[in-house]
Amino acid sequence: MLVIDYGRDGAVVVAGRLDAAQAATAQAFLDGIQGSVTLDCAQLEYISSAGLGVLLKTQKRLLGAAGKLRLSGLKPHLRDVFVYSGFDQLFEIDPAQ
Amino acid sequence: MSAPVPQRPLSVGDMEAILGVTRALAAPFDLTTMLGEVVGAAKQVLRAERGSVWLYDPAADELVLEVATGIRPVRVRSGIGLVGACAQSRQIINVPDCYADPRFDPSVDRSTGYRTRCMLTLPLVDHKEVLVGVMQVLNKSDGVFDAYDEALATALAAQCAVALQRVRMIDALIDGERMRHGLEMAREVQMSTLPTAMPSVPSYDVGAAFRPAELTGGDTYDVALQGDRLLVMMGDATGHGIAPALSVTQMQAMLRMAFRLGADLDTAFMQVNNRLAETLPDDRFITAFIGVLDPGTHELRFHSGGQGPILHYQAATGTWASHKPTSFPMGAMPLSSLRPAIAIRMLPGDILAVVSDGIFEYQDPQGEQFGEQRVRDVVHAHREKPTAELVALLMQSVEAFAGAAPQEDDMTAVLLKREPARPAQRVFERSFESIPALVAFSADAFAHLGIDIRLLPTVDLAVEELFTNMVKYGVGSDAGVIVGIAAIEGGVEVTLVDRDVEPFDITCAPAVDIHAPIEERRPGGLGLHLIRQMVDSIEYEYKEAERCSRTTLRLTVGGPA
Repeated sequence: MLVIDYGRDGAVVVAGRLDAAQAATAQAFLDGIQGSVTLDCAQLEYISSAGLGVLLKTQKRLLGAAGKLRLSGLKPHLRDVFVYSGFDQLFEIDPAQ
Repeated sequence: MSAPVPQRPLSVGDMEAILGVTRALAAPFDLTTMLGEVVGAAKQVLRAERGSVWLYDPAADELVLEVATGIRPVRVRSGIGLVGACAQSRQIINVPDCYADPRFDPSVDRSTGYRTRCMLTLPLVDHKEVLVGVMQVLNKSDGVFDAYDEALATALAAQCAVALQRVRMIDALIDGERMRHGLEMAREVQMSTLPTAMPSVPSYDVGAAFRPAELTGGDTYDVALQGDRLLVMMGDATGHGIAPALSVTQMQAMLRMAFRLGADLDTAFMQVNNRLAETLPDDRFITAFIGVLDPGTHELRFHSGGQGPILHYQAATGTWASHKPTSFPMGAMPLSSLRPAIAIRMLPGDILAVVSDGIFEYQDPQGEQFGEQRVRDVVHAHREKPTAELVALLMQSVEAFAGAAPQEDDMTAVLLKREPARPAQRVFERSFESIPALVAFSADAFAHLGIDIRLLPTVDLAVEELFTNMVKYGVGSDAGVIVGIAAIEGGVEVTLVDRDVEPFDITCAPAVDIHAPIEERRPGGLGLHLIRQMVDSIEYEYKEAERCSRTTLRLTVGGPA
């Protein structure tokens, strides 16, 4: 299950599992965002390479338009995935709350 | 001792009397008859009115006079009075006028009304120069004892001493035999209370072995179903000889009774302890493990009265927990309150090892003990074997370790193993839609197999990456993907079998440059890159004939991720 939507302070809140089955849903939503956006990951439980692919595509598009995607609240086990994949070098990641 | 030279040759009559006595002394086999014979012979040969034989008790250094059956014997310390002086000096003492000799004690005369005039007191020393006792003869019928009588008495005394010593040795042998027989009987009782067969408990395997020491030991064990609970007990009573065998037998019977009457663990432990405290001698106690397993919840609660360490092999992590006793040994003193029982959970593949001191403390010829680590090593090495076999291997290992060193104590081991769970396996339709079912399957398998939950996120990731690869690249195959999850020591093994597909060795996929600038980064290959980073090992195998690939990955706690 994945839920993705705007939160109160303009951040995009993503909750649940961002896996191959949910990648298309996430991609469809993120294709609609513009500028510099914070992705609130505090309730994100899981991410696979399919999810990373969605984030990579979004980041490339935003950077091309002088915007960017910033991640916040990543759980430690998900942070490991970002580190192993080198994605910690592609995104600004705020420490978990 | 040198015999005084007779002043005149032995008369034919006296010679015959002594030979007659020698013959008579060869016959009796019990002490009372022998003492009667000796006194009778002395009175006859020395023409004395009365006679008595004091037996020497070397342990107390006292001389003992059996007065009559049922009356407490008279005891005299060596060195005291005429009897004591004779025993100490080993010299014949001839007192012609007793009332003139300060060593004479007239109190016996006063109490019996008999008047002792003269007395001959002589040591009974056998041919090995061992003091057997002291013989006294009183009141020669026709005067006082002279040097001839002393020589006669000395010849007689030597015969008597040998005869008496022989009887005493026979008595000691009989006593020893009786003791040995008693020990054998107690051992038989002890052995007969051991369970003849292990109860059958679903998903558990119990094995036990008991190897008695030759002479002494007080081990016992019990494994019994009481309702739906499994009682596991092991006891080791202190002391030597018959006593420990009997005390453990008593404890086992009391425990079985308590549990049969529905007592819970705490009550049973406390009641049996307190009853044993009442009945056991002050210097004796029983170290005991008493555990109750609920095979439904897999919780095992136990008390250990001075028995330890209690070893718990935890298959999921491949580690051992070593538990100390919860209380002092049973029967040592009454308990009014009890520390809480220790509760452990038996997960699949776990083994509880309850092992007696006779194993831990068995010393090899160099004096090194078998010890706890060797017990752990043997159990670990053979953990997949049935416990009956495992426990026999443990005993063999102790024997091999001990070499020629004798077994000083009973050896007992009780092993309780929860069967390892069968690997989980399911077929998943080749579609991204299957991912939620895959996630649920993994979580179920982890719970069912007792696999460390910390490994689940990585397994989820690895399974999804491999599965989605198969979905993407296995186009044309209608066969579902078979996913299997098995518990291994300290971790998990995952297999994915992909059928009716072309080979694609994921382990040979090109590495991803994670430092490349973002413009050059592509999502492809990232999943396999992640798996390789996060698991301990990954293997790929393709069977040409069946067009079937098998991917196996292993992951343990403390592994790369």
